[in-house]
Amino acid sequence: MSEQMNCTRRDFLKVAGAAVVVAAVAGAAPTLVTEAHAAELDLVSQRQSGVYAADANPKLYNLRKSQDNPMVQKLYAKGGFLGDGPCGHVSHELLHTHYVDRSAALKALKAKGIKLKA
Amino acid sequence: MQEMEKVMMKGSAPLDVDPGSFSFVQVDQEKCQACGTCVDVCKTGAIQAQGAEGKSKVLDPAACVNCGQCLVNCPYGAIYEEVSYVDAVFAALKDPNTVCVSMPAPAVRYALGEAFGLPAGTHVGGKMHAALRKLGFKFIWDNEFTADVTIMEEGTELINRVKHPSHHAPLPQFTSCCPGWVKFVEAYYPELIPNLSSAKSPIGMLGSLAKTYGAQQTKTDPAKMFTVSIMPCIAKKFEGLRPELAASGHRDTDVTITTRELAYMIKKAGIDFKNLKDDPADPILGEATGAATIFGTSGGVMEAALRLAYEVLSGEKLKDVDIKAVRTHEGIKSASIDVPHFGKVNVAVASGLDNAKKLCDEVKAGKSKYHFIEIMTCPGGCINGGGQIINPSVREAENGHSKIFAAINKRLAMKAQA
Ligand code: SF4
Ligand code: SF4
Repeated sequence: MSEQMNCTRRDFLKVAGAAVVVAAVAGAAPTLVTEAHAAELDLVSQRQSGVYAADANPKLYNLRKSQDNPMVQKLYAKGGFLGDGPCGHVSHELLHTHYVDRSAALKALKAKGIKLKA
Repeated sequence: MQEMEKVMMKGSAPLDVDPGSFSFVQVDQEKCQACGTCVDVCKTGAIQAQGAEGKSKVLDPAACVNCGQCLVNCPYGAIYEEVSYVDAVFAALKDPNTVCVSMPAPAVRYALGEAFGLPAGTHVGGKMHAALRKLGFKFIWDNEFTADVTIMEEGTELINRVKHPSHHAPLPQFTSCCPGWVKFVEAYYPELIPNLSSAKSPIGMLGSLAKTYGAQQTKTDPAKMFTVSIMPCIAKKFEGLRPELAASGHRDTDVTITTRELAYMIKKAGIDFKNLKDDPADPILGEATGAATIFGTSGGVMEAALRLAYEVLSGEKLKDVDIKAVRTHEGIKSASIDVPHFGKVNVAVASGLDNAKKLCDEVKAGKSKYHFIEIMTCPGGCINGGGQIINPSVREAENGHSKIFAAINKRLAMKAQA
């Protein structure tokens, strides 16, 4: 008995879960979890198909290359706001950034014995 | 706490808060059923089973990249968002002295319709613009415009790196538009920071352009502008609060909300979304191409960048813009693209941080053969982001599962008594 109680609900499910799930949803599809995963992938591919269909639909986007966007061309035009072109001086100020090394806090966590996946 | 599109939301955070000091997702210990789904889904290991009951907890903000994959996949709706700025946006929209600017991401328009009964993947960009106007946004600017600008900046940067790779700007170049991924590099692979494109994400660019170029073009006082980033993503809330993103002399992005929060606002305002007439974005910072809209899916940034790089490197027109070799929605996809007068451009596309890790380890070991690598934290890219409309099938399992858990609980209780 004490052994049973030491096992958390999560562990319990990991061991017995699959069988119980199948048994409890008798009548439903046999592998509920796999089905949910499939449905998730299905939703992602539906949204993805929507994206590629829109890209190819001239009624939604009549141009398909960023460099052809007239408002982009206006932005970078000589004498324009970003007149010195992509990666130019103003771009560097407004459109580029720098990053922060955040590894110290993570190292401290790992030093405490916490196991992470990466 | 307020429920918005099936997710519980806490209130706003101070705008000068250090976004690294807390995690944007939290587990409600009352609701957690200790099923372990989130623990499996999380690829950093930031969320783990704790204590005797094995309920989940986000251990430390340093380990979490705020992607929200745990949240959107929890069958019980037990994970909530720590920060919601919906009240602040409603207040700004009412204030006659504030000029509200909308900045929706590409992927939002492929999921927003689901909240109003439209099929997944329906492009509702036009209705979204119309709804934003009805809500009271003065300028309907669109992050798709700056996705195009991102290609110009990041693509040019790539071409420069290919021509003159250096210590500060080595190859391969990694994309930098996904905030979960960027934080992942900063925390887990700091030695690869020089490989990250220095280009801001599209929303980083739109925020700073709105309050400079946009203000100039529309003759608006940038101090009165309130820029609202509308994202398929929770990690964008982290990005929006980064202290360094204030290039315009103001906060570039005032607040960030998700697709779910926008859907909530549209419903709350009583707007009949389904029957709205399509409305275009305001062109100055709103016009976009197909290359911009594909940013919403894994492989899209790569394809958009190749549509530019091909023409610049070869000096020839790219006739067939469909670069299907980089289209994918799972795992890692690599391709070698033949560019006339240049040679081969080697690229890789990955979504999911477990896949990203493999590519990072290769680069770290000096064994990567790629010029350019696109990484998205969420499997499939932003269309499957942590801020998107909840997939009903994730929660459908709830009913079935609740019964199962009840049965298991009973059995455990009986065993305990025996
Ligand atoms: S997925 Fe939800 S119920 Fe399951 S362990 Fe995580 S928070 Fe708890
Ligand atoms: S938000 Fe992402 S990184 Fe953080 S605990 Fe959830 S799945 Fe893990």
